[in-house]
Amino acid sequence: MNINFSGVSKIFEPDIAALIDINLNIEQGEFVYVIGQTGSGKSTLLRLITRELLPSRGVVAVGDFDLRRMRKVDIPYYRRDVGLVAQDFKLIPTLTVYENIAFVMEAMSVPKRIVADRTKDVINQVGLWRRRGMRPAQLSGGEQQRVAIARALANSPSLFIADEPTGNLDFRTATEVMKILLAINAAGVTVVMSTHNQAIVNSSRQRVVELENGRLVRDERGGSYSR
Amino acid sequence: MTTLKYILRDTWRLLFHHWVLGLLTMITAGVMLWILGITTLLSINIENILSQLESELVVQAYLVKDNTLDVEAIARKIQGLPQVYSMKVFSPSDSLAKLQTRMGSQSRALEMIGDNPIPWNFEIHVHSARDVEPLVESLKTMPEVEDVVYAGLVVRRISALSRISSRVALIMFILSVVITALVVYNTIHISLYSRREEIGIMYLVGATRSYIATPFVLQGTLLALFGAAAATAGIIAAYFPGIGLLQENMPLLHSSLITDQTTILRFCGLLAGFGATLGWVCSYLVVVRFINSITKPE
Repeated sequence: MNINFSGVSKIFEPDIAALIDINLNIEQGEFVYVIGQTGSGKSTLLRLITRELLPSRGVVAVGDFDLRRMRKVDIPYYRRDVGLVAQDFKLIPTLTVYENIAFVMEAMSVPKRIVADRTKDVINQVGLWRRRGMRPAQLSGGEQQRVAIARALANSPSLFIADEPTGNLDFRTATEVMKILLAINAAGVTVVMSTHNQAIVNSSRQRVVELENGRLVRDERGGSYSR
Repeated sequence: MTTLKYILRDTWRLLFHHWVLGLLTMITAGVMLWILGITTLLSINIENILSQLESELVVQAYLVKDNTLDVEAIARKIQGLPQVYSMKVFSPSDSLAKLQTRMGSQSRALEMIGDNPIPWNFEIHVHSARDVEPLVESLKTMPEVEDVVYAGLVVRRISALSRISSRVALIMFILSVVITALVVYNTIHISLYSRREEIGIMYLVGATRSYIATPFVLQGTLLALFGAAAATAGIIAAYFPGIGLLQENMPLLHSSLITDQTTILRFCGLLAGFGATLGWVCSYLVVVRFINSITKPE
């Protein structure tokens, strides 16, 4: 799934420009790091892709969809093709690891047997099968992040959005999470990930998009964290 | 089918998630619907009694004693009045014969009067007690009518009772509906609010709005339905002993009261349906509003 930002600005009330005139094209199967200081507009950029936000100006197109013009009824179907991993994990506290992952497929009316098989697969993929009966509060930050990744993988998305997925993790856990994300990308899934972690960006040398005060200041393939 | 199973499972979870609040909602809805049901039955019974009394209400109009009167034309004129339901015309001789029959052995006293003193007269039945006063006013303005006889006080009391009964029933209906609706609305709102984060996440990972909303709507519908079911049980338990007591003490009312079990059971079915519909409408409104507000992109 390719992503296209064309002249996109996002201004929050009363007059806070989070993004200014962004032009960016991400092709299917790319791995893109979005870097920049806190408040530079990284999360806003990702939230525009998930359609949690709408642009104040310009067009955000993902695949065949112009996200501003998308009909309400199409939004859930679009989001099923977008795996989302947030810094705060966005797990449902009352559900177990297994239920948190299964409900994504249940919402798509996938039969119970298939839900069970697929849930087992993705939990194994992130190495948490023994923790499947626990609730998020009983897990460490790294484990919660892996549950969020497993949930995002459940629907086999063609686009993976990760907003600072290693932000709350120690280096070792962050490296494990990165291995999973790179494996997902190797399977042909587009991955867009925002991060502050220099070591991670420098270790895998992917495309780097840098934001500064809402403006795109660098777009470099095989780039490092620093200019 | 798979979606339905998931939705029913989530509804079941919701019912027990805030079970104390759910129980209170059911009790409140049950009490309000019980009051609504009992008031409605009471009002229907009062209306039946009043209808029976009204059907016995007669306005008697006596014409002036004048042989040149065109009685048929006057009868047509009175028949044309909107309050008149039916009318019988009595000639002076018919009226005298009727009076003689009524007086029985004392009818010989009438012979002492000499000429028949009774003029042409009409026995008029009205649609309802409220029609009597306007009819009497109209009759009194007619020059051919000498006197109008009717049970004025009874009419006024029946009319007043009928008005009060209708108003009380209407007020109770509005109160019950508003209170039940507010309680269901608030319960579902609290249920939604306590799971707002979960709803946001569900929407973000691809759940449709109807998939998210349906368990909450079903929760409200079921709470109101359970309340209505309890209310109907309470009505059946209270109504028949109450009616039995009334029949024992006021046998004259027997024919006016609803005593048929099938009618009462049908009424209870309607009440349960009404409760469930009310619950559905309220929860639908609050769920749609809430989900719209939290899923709207900035």
